[in-house]
Amino acid sequence: MDVRVIGLGNVLMGDDGFGPYVIKTLEALYEFPADVSLIDAGTPGLDLSPFLMDADVVILIDAVNASGDAGSVRIYGREDLMRPGLQPRLGPHDPALAETLHALDLAGVGPEAVLLVGAIPSPVTTGPGLSHPMRQAVPKAVERVINMLAVLGYPSVARPKPLEPDVWWERKPASTLH
Amino acid sequence: MSRHITVDPITRIEGHLRIDVEVDGGAVTKAWSSGQMFRGIERILLGRDPRDAWLFTQRFCGVCTTVHAITSVRAVENALGLEVPLNAQYIRNLIVAAHAMHDHIVHFYHLSALDWVDVVSALKADVAKAAALGEKLSPWPGNSRQQLQAVKDRLAGFVAGGQLGIFANGYWGHPAMKLAPEVNLLAVAHYLEALEYQRKVNQVVALLGGKTPNIQNLAVGGVANAINLDNQATLNMEKLFYVKQRLDEIKSFIEQVYFVDVCAVGAMYADWLGYGKGVTNYLAVPDFPLDTKGTSFDMPGGTIMNGDLKTIREIKRFDEPYFRENVSENIAHAWYAGDWTRHPWDEETVPKYTGYKPDGKYSWVKAPRFDGKVMQVGPLAQVLVAFTLGHEPTVKWATKTLETAGTIAGAKLGPEVLHSTLGRHAARMIRTAVISELATRHWELLVENIGKGDVAIFNKPVFPKGEQRGFGFHEAPRGTLSHWIVIEDGKIANYQAVVPSTWNAGPRDDKGQPGPYEASLVGNPVADPERPLEVLRTIHSFDPCLACAIHTVDVGGNELARVRAL
Repeated sequence: MDVRVIGLGNVLMGDDGFGPYVIKTLEALYEFPADVSLIDAGTPGLDLSPFLMDADVVILIDAVNASGDAGSVRIYGREDLMRPGLQPRLGPHDPALAETLHALDLAGVGPEAVLLVGAIPSPVTTGPGLSHPMRQAVPKAVERVINMLAVLGYPSVARPKPLEPDVWWERKPASTLH
Repeated sequence: MSRHITVDPITRIEGHLRIDVEVDGGAVTKAWSSGQMFRGIERILLGRDPRDAWLFTQRFCGVCTTVHAITSVRAVENALGLEVPLNAQYIRNLIVAAHAMHDHIVHFYHLSALDWVDVVSALKADVAKAAALGEKLSPWPGNSRQQLQAVKDRLAGFVAGGQLGIFANGYWGHPAMKLAPEVNLLAVAHYLEALEYQRKVNQVVALLGGKTPNIQNLAVGGVANAINLDNQATLNMEKLFYVKQRLDEIKSFIEQVYFVDVCAVGAMYADWLGYGKGVTNYLAVPDFPLDTKGTSFDMPGGTIMNGDLKTIREIKRFDEPYFRENVSENIAHAWYAGDWTRHPWDEETVPKYTGYKPDGKYSWVKAPRFDGKVMQVGPLAQVLVAFTLGHEPTVKWATKTLETAGTIAGAKLGPEVLHSTLGRHAARMIRTAVISELATRHWELLVENIGKGDVAIFNKPVFPKGEQRGFGFHEAPRGTLSHWIVIEDGKIANYQAVVPSTWNAGPRDDKGQPGPYEASLVGNPVADPERPLEVLRTIHSFDPCLACAIHTVDVGGNELARVRAL
């Protein structure tokens, strides 16, 4: 089996960095079976395809555009992600997840199962750092992912000594004369 | 009667690129290009350690990750006058090559092919005829009758199941679509095969860079790839051969599939060799450094003015004054406070949004200029500069492309047809083929250098007190990228990225000179204002990448882009 947990989003754009933040938190708190890989994929647009190709299960983590309170965590299935939008695309970032999944399916190399753990962001701003509601959503999303992996038969083990999540983008500038 | 068309992608925040055109008598008479999202992302870097800058710049854009990382370390190295060990140059060059091949293949097959290929028409293809045509053009095994039948069957199943989402962005059935069903079927087959080659290139970047899409092996002063041919944990012969094998496979795809497809599309849409010319001042910087100081390169750079190849002036070094002294940005039509023209080191980024005014300020993108002139950047600029300077692999692939496309079209094609919408696609493919050869060469250079016993990968940077100014450039997939840094007492005091899509997508300047996107659209035909496929063709030929910022999944089936024809 090949299970991939993929965090999407831009860490320099406030709450959009939710996915990578959750990945770093998962890595810091748990150890995972060899079949499970954790990927901070950033905002790859159509370049997402190598990360989804031939996977058995893909669990995506991202900020989602949905109605509800900021920080609400929701689970979505494949159909939710693949709704077609009949619109022209100008750049490589525009609707990419649905298109990538469709393209991989047509090529016969799409993932067997796709789930999205989404959280509703506060208005997105320039600059690293999650808003208060999104920060509170992190442990909820972590729990969802850990439960999904357990149900799939890939239980993760809590680290006896949890590490500090390596969210380097939130570190404040410091003096560096060497 | 003139009509005004707006193509405006909408996202959670403002959106990215908006194009407005005025159409009269079936052709574009005037155009505006507007970046709809404030970047200003460089401000995040102020006060930080210059050695960490690349980690942040790599996150400017999720697609152009490695290019912003490499340009950033080059800028800091330039500020310090720091040399980079040969192994580090070669390893960086291999990552640059892999990333560029990946990006160009994705652009042609997954971002712009649908402008030219009518997917639904492929269902009408005669498979035997398609296979015969494919086999005539190329020895590629994917063009066999069995393979094409399988693709057609799978496509038919998709369409029958209502799963056209993948091609929802295509204007199928549009009067400007001209390929025969058999050619469309071949193109769909290659679209799907390209996914596999995307993965192969990604494997090269992952092995050398530690991870993808965000690499981890860079450092100001070199790379972090420890080299020991006998150690499993370091860069060793086994890993190097893995890289070589992938590079060979990718080279076959480029030469037997991508090359042939671009020649065929170019020949079958030969009228598009006459549209989309626009700005013919070209700028490209040299890349693939061959020495530790950045004074010798495997891919040349320079400028060409007014489309006249005789005006060529070469850019020869990483510290080239001709480049350093001539880059400026103007904000007369951009939403920033003031209306200055400044050198990147002296810029400030103070946003001031005042609404969309076509005669006033109308974009978040600044207008970069070179010696006050509008410049087109990108593969076309790079190929023209290299061709003019007699760069052997570029001359070879450009000549081969023009001959092959000319044979299919039954016409004689000279280099002048490259100043066009399809010329930009051709140049991107020529560049990909050249880079594929350079990748092999730099792999050999790396192995040879390690064989001599040189395992150096890093020179430690030292930050003196006081101010240092530096700039780094890279000929990225979308063109000339430069980062400009001011360091004060070891900390970043100013940072500006002048990105390729800023050169091309920028608005008018204080003299009213339109940017390359804007100029290239004038004269484009528009058959159906409700479906301005021709506008997309020309804009896509530049490979726009303005977003550089954000990804929020839309689960509500919300409108993601719209076209308004008034």
